[in-house]
Amino acid sequence: MKGAFTYLLLPHLWSSRNRAQRREPGDLTRALLFGGVAIGVFFALFYGAAWLAWQLQDYEELGDYLLRLGLSWIFMTFLAFLTFSGIVTALSTFFLSDDLRLLLTAPIAARRLFYARFARTVVQSSWMVVVFIAPVLLGVGLAQCAPASFYITSALTVIPFAIIPVAVGTACTLLLVNVFPARRARDLLMLMGFLFAASIVVLLRMIRPEQLLRAESLPDVTGFFSTLQSPVTPLLPSFWAGELVFASLKGGWDALHAGALWTTALAFCVGLRAADERWHFSGYSRSQEAPKARFTKFRSLDAIAGVLPLSPVRRQLLVKDLKIFLRDVSQWSQLLLLLALMVIYLYNFRVLDLGRIPYMSGFVKNVYAFVNLGMAGFVLSTVAVRFVFPMVSAEGRAFWLVRKSPVSMHDFLWSKFWTGFVPVLALTETLTIAANELLDVDPFLKIVAAGAIVFLSLALVGLATGLGARYPRFTADNPSQVAGSYGGVAFMILAVLLIIVVIVLLGWPSTTYLYYQLRHRPIPAVRMVMMGLSFVAAVFVSIATWLHGMRSGVRALDAMSN
Amino acid sequence: MIAVQHLVKQYGKFTAVDDVSLDVQPGEIHGFLGPNGAGKTTTLRMIAGLLKPTGGHVIVNGHDVASEPELAKASLGFIPDRPFIYEKLTAGEFLKFHGGLYGLDGDGVMDRVHEMLDLFELRRWENELVESFSHGMKQRLVMCAAFLHRPRAVAVDEPMVGLDPRGARLIKNVFRRMSERGVAILMSTHTLEVAQEMCQRLSIILKGKIIAQGTVDEVRRLGGADDHLTSVFLRLTGGSALQEIDEAV
Repeated sequence: MKGAFTYLLLPHLWSSRNRAQRREPGDLTRALLFGGVAIGVFFALFYGAAWLAWQLQDYEELGDYLLRLGLSWIFMTFLAFLTFSGIVTALSTFFLSDDLRLLLTAPIAARRLFYARFARTVVQSSWMVVVFIAPVLLGVGLAQCAPASFYITSALTVIPFAIIPVAVGTACTLLLVNVFPARRARDLLMLMGFLFAASIVVLLRMIRPEQLLRAESLPDVTGFFSTLQSPVTPLLPSFWAGELVFASLKGGWDALHAGALWTTALAFCVGLRAADERWHFSGYSRSQEAPKARFTKFRSLDAIAGVLPLSPVRRQLLVKDLKIFLRDVSQWSQLLLLLALMVIYLYNFRVLDLGRIPYMSGFVKNVYAFVNLGMAGFVLSTVAVRFVFPMVSAEGRAFWLVRKSPVSMHDFLWSKFWTGFVPVLALTETLTIAANELLDVDPFLKIVAAGAIVFLSLALVGLATGLGARYPRFTADNPSQVAGSYGGVAFMILAVLLIIVVIVLLGWPSTTYLYYQLRHRPIPAVRMVMMGLSFVAAVFVSIATWLHGMRSGVRALDAMSN
Repeated sequence: MIAVQHLVKQYGKFTAVDDVSLDVQPGEIHGFLGPNGAGKTTTLRMIAGLLKPTGGHVIVNGHDVASEPELAKASLGFIPDRPFIYEKLTAGEFLKFHGGLYGLDGDGVMDRVHEMLDLFELRRWENELVESFSHGMKQRLVMCAAFLHRPRAVAVDEPMVGLDPRGARLIKNVFRRMSERGVAILMSTHTLEVAQEMCQRLSIILKGKIIAQGTVDEVRRLGGADDHLTSVFLRLTGGSALQEIDEAV
C-alpha cells in the first residue's frame, strides 16, 4: 500500500474526513445553502434534458439526429473546458502546491508522484463536468427508456473522456513551466483563459442563431444545421464519446469508439508520464525561482489621485487598491472577459431585427426594457460579488497594517465602497443606456432604468462591501475563492431578491404610465400618487440596503479590532 | 556524510550560489552562516533536492542527489525555514503519513511516532489538528518528521526562528544528542550564539561565495580577531552597514 501512488493521496482523504468530523459554526447553514442550490441545479438539468429528449422522440429520425448532434456538442464543450481546466489545475498540483516541498524531499519515485498528482488533477479538473453531465445523461436515458447498459457505458465513457483533455492540458503546463517561471506562467494562463472564453463567444456568434427568427431565411435551416455540425469532427474524443453514448442509448455497443477513447486515454497517460519524468523537476525548480518581476509603476495613478478631493488616508488606500488590481493579471483579465460578454450582449440587440419578430414591437418591447434592467442588475451583482465583495479579504495577511494604523474602520470601509462603486456604476449604466437605445424603448423608461441603476449600484455595492467585511477570508488564495464562500453566496441570494423587489416596485408605475400614454388618456391623480409612492419605495429600499450593509460591515470590522 | 562540491545556482545572469563546496562529517554539527540573501536557503534547497543546481554536485551518504535522488533523500532529513504541514491532519496522522513516505511500516511506526512526539514534547497534542498549533509547535512537529526515519544526515534552515527559550533549548539538546549518535547536521542560522555554542565547524557565505570555513577558532582567526563570533561575522560580511544604521537612527 505504501508503495502505491494512492498512498500519496491519503492526506487529502484524511483531511476531508477530519473536516467532516469537526464541524465549525455555520457549517450546517453552508451545507443547506450549497446543497439546496446543487439539488436545484441537478433537477433543473435533469428535467431540461429529459423534457428535450422526450420532445425529440416525436421527430423520428430528425429527433435522433438532433440528439446525437446534441450529445457531441455537449461533450465538445466539456472537452474544451476540461483542457483549459487541466492546464490551470496542473499548474497548481504539479508545480505550485505547498505540499510538493514536503513530497519532493522524500524518497518517492518520480513515477509514483506523477500518478498521484495526475489522479488529483483529473479529479479536480473534471468533478464539475461530471456533476453537470450526470443529470443530463440520466434525464436523456430515462426519457428515451434506455437499457441499464446505457448508464454503465456512460460512466465508462466519462472516465477516459476526462483523462484525455486533462492529459493534454497537463502536457501544455509542463511545456509552459519549462519555458516561463510558474508564477509568470500563471499570469499567461489567465490571459489564455480570457482568449479561450472569448473564442467560445465568437464561436457561438458565428452560428448566428438569430437567423432562425427570420421567416425568409427558413430555406437556410439546413445551412444552420451544417454550421452546427461543422465543429463536431470525428477526430475529437468528444465525437467518440457522443457516438458511444448514443449507441448505448439505442441498446447497441460501439466498440470502435470505445476502443478509441480508452486506448487514447491510456496512451496519453504513458506519454505524459515519460514527459513528466524527464521535465518535471526542471520545471518545478524553475517555479521556485523568483526573478525580478516586471511591473508597471502607474505613476499617472498617483497624479490623478493627488488631485482628487480625498483625505491622505483614503487617497493612499485608493492608490494601493488600484495598483494591486492592475498589476494582478488574474484580476483585470476577468474584467476584460466581462467587457467582451457585454459587447456581445449589446451586439445581439443590434443584429436582432426586432421589428420582424412578432410581439417584440411597441408595448412588449418596452416591457422588455425591464428584462434588460434585470439583466443589468444581474451583471451588477456578478461584478460586485467578484470584485467588490473580496475587497476587504484582499487585504489578506497584510490587514494588520491597516488595523495598527490610526485609520478608523469606517474610513477604511467607505474607501473600499467608493473604489468599487465608481467603476461598477460606469459599467452597468453604460450597459443599460446602450441596450435601451438599441431597443429604442420609451424615453420615460430610459430615464427610469438609468435612475434605477444608480440606486441599485449604491445598494448592491454597499451590500457587497458590508458583507465582504462581515465574512472576510483573509487566508484565501484568490478572490474567486472569496466570492464562492458562504458570504458570497449569501450576497448573491440577497442581491437577486433586491433586484426582483426593485423591478416590481418600478415595473408597476412604469407599465401604468405606458398604459395611459398608449390610450392618450391622462393619469388619474390617485394613480399618480401611488406611482410616486412606488418609485419612492424603490429608492428607499435601495438606500436602506446600502446604508445598512455598510453599517453592519463597519460594526463587524470594529468588533474584529476590539 | 553531506558533501557539497562546487555547487552553482544561477537565475538568469544573477549567480545566487557561486562554487560552494563544503563537507559535513558523521556526528558533526556544521554551522552555515551568512547575511540575508547570501545564498544559504538556496544551497540547502539544492541539498534537499528541491532546486536543480546549475552546476556542481550534492552527495548524501554516498549518493548523488541528481542521479540517485531516492537513495540520497532516504538518508536525509530536511527542515525548511517555512515548513509545510497538512493543516487538516492531526500531528499523529501527519507523522504516520510522513513515515510511510520513507517506507516505515507496520506496528513499529506508531512506536517511533510516539518516541518522537515525546522527544519534542508534543505527545499530548497527538490527536489535535495541526491548524491549531502555534508556530513553535509546528516547527517542533516538522523536526519530529525530519528525525522520524532515523536519517544519517539532516539539513536544517533557521531552526531557532519563532521558538521560545525552552523550545530553543530543547532543539539544541536534540541536535546534540543526534550528533552524538553519528547524525551529520548542516544548520543555517542567524543566531551566532547558537552557532558558537553548538557547531564544531562553520562555513560563512556572502553573495553566494564561501568566504570563511573551518572550526570556530579557525574562523575567529580568519576574521582577524579572537573576540566574540558576532564581531568576526560582522567584520567578514561587511559590518559597516551597522554603523550607517546607527547614524540613521
